Amino acid sequence: MTRTFKASKVVRGVAEGEALACPGSFSFLGDVDMQTGEIIAAGHPCRGMRLAGRVLAYPETKGSSGGCVVLITLARRGLAPAALITEKPADYNLAEGAILAAIPFVCEPEAGLLESLAGGVRVRVDADRGTVELLD
Amino acid sequence: MLDGAEGPVVAEALDYLVQLGEAFGAERLVDITYCHYPAEMAIYEGSVEEAVAYSARGGRVRVPTTTSTLCADLERPASTGCPAALATLQAQVEGAHRRMGMLETYTCTPQLLGFVPPFGSYIASVESSAIVYFNSVLGARTNRGGLFTRYSAITGKYPLMGYLLDDNRRGTHRFDVHVPPKHLATYDAWCALGFHIGAIVGGAVPVITGVRPDRQEWLLGLGAALATSGSVTLFHIPGVTPEARTVDEAFHGQPPQEVHEVTLQDLDAVYERLTTIPRGSAVDFVTLGCPHYNLAQLKNVAEKLAGRRVPEGVRFWVCTNRMTRRQAEYSGYVQAIEAAGALCVADTCPVESHMRLSTCREHGLRAPNVEAMVTDSAKMARYVGDLIGCQTALTDVDSCIRAALSGVFS
Repeated sequence: MTRTFKASKVVRGVAEGEALACPGSFSFLGDVDMQTGEIIAAGHPCRGMRLAGRVLAYPETKGSSGGCVVLITLARRGLAPAALITEKPADYNLAEGAILAAIPFVCEPEAGLLESLAGGVRVRVDADRGTVELLD
Repeated sequence: MLDGAEGPVVAEALDYLVQLGEAFGAERLVDITYCHYPAEMAIYEGSVEEAVAYSARGGRVRVPTTTSTLCADLERPASTGCPAALATLQAQVEGAHRRMGMLETYTCTPQLLGFVPPFGSYIASVESSAIVYFNSVLGARTNRGGLFTRYSAITGKYPLMGYLLDDNRRGTHRFDVHVPPKHLATYDAWCALGFHIGAIVGGAVPVITGVRPDRQEWLLGLGAALATSGSVTLFHIPGVTPEARTVDEAFHGQPPQEVHEVTLQDLDAVYERLTTIPRGSAVDFVTLGCPHYNLAQLKNVAEKLAGRRVPEGVRFWVCTNRMTRRQAEYSGYVQAIEAAGALCVADTCPVESHMRLSTCREHGLRAPNVEAMVTDSAKMARYVGDLIGCQTALTDVDSCIRAALSGVFS
């Protein structure tokens, strides 16, 4: 069954990957190890998961404006997410990193998307069309 | 500019800014008057090399542009234990920044060096603690900038969007603080207040009532913490910050989306959350100066350390910017701090240094490099816990100094 959610484009591009849905807000500085791309924050519900190639979805970006540089560094090492989805409007800082790293980024999806991504289904993010498609 | 008449570097920079503006529906670009730029840190792979290569392409800044922190103290790189290879690589950014016409300030607190943009001016800044200070305390206007401040510096432009627009500066959440003033009379208490509110408000605009910040550094600590547990860009304190003479003005005459009461118990919960070192156990690192300390804060530490001695096995960093350290040397504060066995560090801080877990592993250093760190900053405590992999304690400056001198968190 294919289900498609509408979302607002932030950074252009199309990408597919296994979803990684984080229930809490996310800080690229602090929550991720730059050497492995693994979520390391103590007590984080997704601790131990790796971002590489995943479609990372979470409610809201928080934390330092170093987040943008962390995203670029992860991308240089092939450890960055394939695409980004945030429920709240996009963080300006993170959008800069996503533009430079050419990572498709959408925000403010239709209600229920994050819940539908639980369990790591495969999804296709088409920022240009403003859609997130569940492929499994 | 966009057609390349001013060269390919300017055209490219403008194109990136146009993309950013399109992402957020900006109608046009506006002129900015100042930039605070994220100096490339050597701990981010490829970052320094990219900056050197970029500067060789000939771009020059059009507005005064200060630079943020590095991973090494460039004046005396060996003092912090930074591996020589990393320090040498880090030092290369200075040439790149000079070529582009940037100012080699290397601090998270450019406002302490006199970069105080006028009320209402458009600027482009990185460093979440500086961003929130510029917006809230000074009434200048910037979003949470990142690498694109380079393109703003080179073009003198930024998209008209976000916190540059009046409507987005309206308060959203009201926080009525019921904490007796005597419990809001230290830097760390303001950090705890910010950390509590930031976690609730996320990226919205808190309006904080019932408080009276008498010191500039209290506002700095508040903002830094708001942008750590949340992503706050702007806060208002009615009667204190310039866009909120009254509560009503802070909300632009509209009702708040949410109202929260803040009590002493909420602040206690922040201390509890950020303190994982058991009382009475050993401490091997103490950090003051997140964000970078001002001259009066250095003087206070110098006076309290006079004639005292930090024991072997404890590293005690008091972090500031290089201009302030030069003045503190003139006044004898650096000498007093360092005669006691502490280190007055410029350009960097523990969380930006080689002591991050990932950097230690890459350079064959002991990891984690720190076991237990005491600090007066909620921001520092939050980030070093995961990035350096140490236990933490948030407490007041006097307790930090006591911990450094005894080697025990009491």
